[in-house]
Amino acid sequence: MVDQVNSDIPAVTMEQVNKWFDDFHVLKDINLQVADGEKVVVCGPSGSGKSTLIRCICKLEDHQRGTIKVLGTELNDNVANIDEIRREVGMVFQQFNLFPHMTVLENCTLALTLVRKKSRKEAEAIAMQFLEKVRIPEQSAKYPGELSGGQQQRVAIARSLCMNPEILLFDEPTSALDPEMISEVLDVMVALAEEGMTMVCVTHEMGFARRVADRVIFMDQGEIVEQNSPHKFFDNPSNERTKLFLSQILQH
Amino acid sequence: MTDATYKLPPQTPFLRKIQNSLFSSPLNTLLSIATAVFFIFIIVKFVDWAFLSSIWHAEDEPLCKEAGGACWSVIDARHRIIFFGLFPYEEHWRSTVACAVMITTIVASCIPWFWSAAKLSTLWLLGFCTFYLLMHGGLFGLSVITPERWGGLALTIFIFAAVSIIGMPLSIVLALGRRSKLPVIARLFGLFIDFFRSLPLLTILFTAAVITPFVLPGWLQGDKLYRVIVGFAIFFACYQAENIRAGLQAIPSGQDEAGLTLGLKYMQRVTRIQLPQAFRNSLPSIVNQFVITFKETSIVTIVGFFEILASGSAAFGTGKWTVYYIEVYVFIATIYFIFVFSLSRYGAYLERKLRVGHG
Ligand SMILES: Nc1ncnc2c1ncn2[C@@H]1O[C@H](COP(=O)(O)OP(=O)(O)O)[C@@H](O)[C@H]1O
Ligand SMILES: [Mg+2]
Repeated sequence: MVDQVNSDIPAVTMEQVNKWFDDFHVLKDINLQVADGEKVVVCGPSGSGKSTLIRCICKLEDHQRGTIKVLGTELNDNVANIDEIRREVGMVFQQFNLFPHMTVLENCTLALTLVRKKSRKEAEAIAMQFLEKVRIPEQSAKYPGELSGGQQQRVAIARSLCMNPEILLFDEPTSALDPEMISEVLDVMVALAEEGMTMVCVTHEMGFARRVADRVIFMDQGEIVEQNSPHKFFDNPSNERTKLFLSQILQH
Repeated sequence: MTDATYKLPPQTPFLRKIQNSLFSSPLNTLLSIATAVFFIFIIVKFVDWAFLSSIWHAEDEPLCKEAGGACWSVIDARHRIIFFGLFPYEEHWRSTVACAVMITTIVASCIPWFWSAAKLSTLWLLGFCTFYLLMHGGLFGLSVITPERWGGLALTIFIFAAVSIIGMPLSIVLALGRRSKLPVIARLFGLFIDFFRSLPLLTILFTAAVITPFVLPGWLQGDKLYRVIVGFAIFFACYQAENIRAGLQAIPSGQDEAGLTLGLKYMQRVTRIQLPQAFRNSLPSIVNQFVITFKETSIVTIVGFFEILASGSAAFGTGKWTVYYIEVYVFIATIYFIFVFSLSRYGAYLERKLRVGHG
């Protein structure tokens, strides 16, 4: 996994990336490489810039300094590049962000018909295939508001998968869920990881990180403080700030 | 008892509900009875005036004085003025059919089956062309009747429909423009909207009718009626744009971001994600704007058009009918009520329909 020497183009490359919100320095000299097929877990205290980091990867936020390359294409102001990248990078949000006025099936087929130019029939077949994969095909005619949080998040994952993305980004996908629903979402994510999907996940689910992550990244105050294999990261953290953070989240 | 009985929530008996809501305390009982007596009194009085002691036929008008009730003779005698204004008498059938066509078009476009750009535009193109052909004439042996002589209900409905159909798309453009990410565009649209909202409708219509002919070249002027409609539509659109913008602002930013990450283009996100939710969010105020507009059509009298209210004044304006203005106003109020009440019921139906599945 770390032997990127003979692998393809890296999925994501960030070099000396800096970002400011007005004069608030939110990302500081970020250097990060994610190889094709690699699974990276990002953790860190609230407000440390984790969301901002992955939002930069799909250009939901602009960075001001440094370069970000996704699948070999640089993210600059070239609109064609951005459109192409967004089609290849999927994002799963903490708040699901399903379209409330569309059924589950319509949520999944929307981009297939508009962006991938599939016929309605083809799109529905693809959507059903992924709804089955997240084990929710029987809910396809319902509206998001009629589903539980866990079911909504699985639909959101299916919706992203329909676009057949090269990279899937997750921003705290289980943080808005009731405890009993977390595992149904994590199970889906583990299955995806096992199929070789390239994943960058912001999450504090340490069991998940230990099980699927190739690498865990710890951020604090806009910096990447430590990165390591999950085994070393959790059992033998080197940095003081990491130790403090781990003791806080593992307290209960 | 079977298990099933336990599955139903406990029911409060009907009489007990009434008791709880109307007669729960002495004061409450007193108020309930007083209100009931008051309303019964009003209703009895009105029914007696409008139906029991009233006179219905034009030729019975001399009996009105003694009868003490409504003198509907005035409507029987003068309803053509109310409905058709100055439209030539022998051509009234054209105005009637034109009205029916326009109402059918409006009703049809309220049916969800018609809700696609292609169907709606075909429908309205057909509706307006038929209306125009019937009202204006000049083809198929129909004599030409210029818009100055259009009047009554047909004119009211035509102005309302035209203002709505020009104003709605314009309001969407204005709302989107005002939310543009480019500050210059957003400012310009904001300025446009606020400018027209801060002018009285009267001023706008007066300018459109009387002043624009001095400014615009002849070929751009069109008939006074069309200039007034365009002015009215701009006014309507500026208010409606703010309603739509409120609806857009209520959409969580995550919705647009989800669209972005799926690779949807700006127009796709606007038409598929933003506008449907914005309409749902601000439906009550959007319907409200239509209601206000329908009622405000009466203002075109001021620039010399005989819409239904002005035609009504003409109906009791001569000879023996001058004393019966109450009857005429009640009659016109009923017509307004039928339209406006249908509009608000339709709004309520839409709200229920759009709420399906999302709380
Ligand atoms: N759009 C924004 N405008 C200004 N400040 C922001 C914005 N988004 C995030 N921030 C700030 O940037 C910091 C990092 O935010 P975020 O990336 O969401 O952190 P995390 O996901 O690690 O909790 C926070 O202090 C937050 O207040
Ligand atoms: Mg976050």
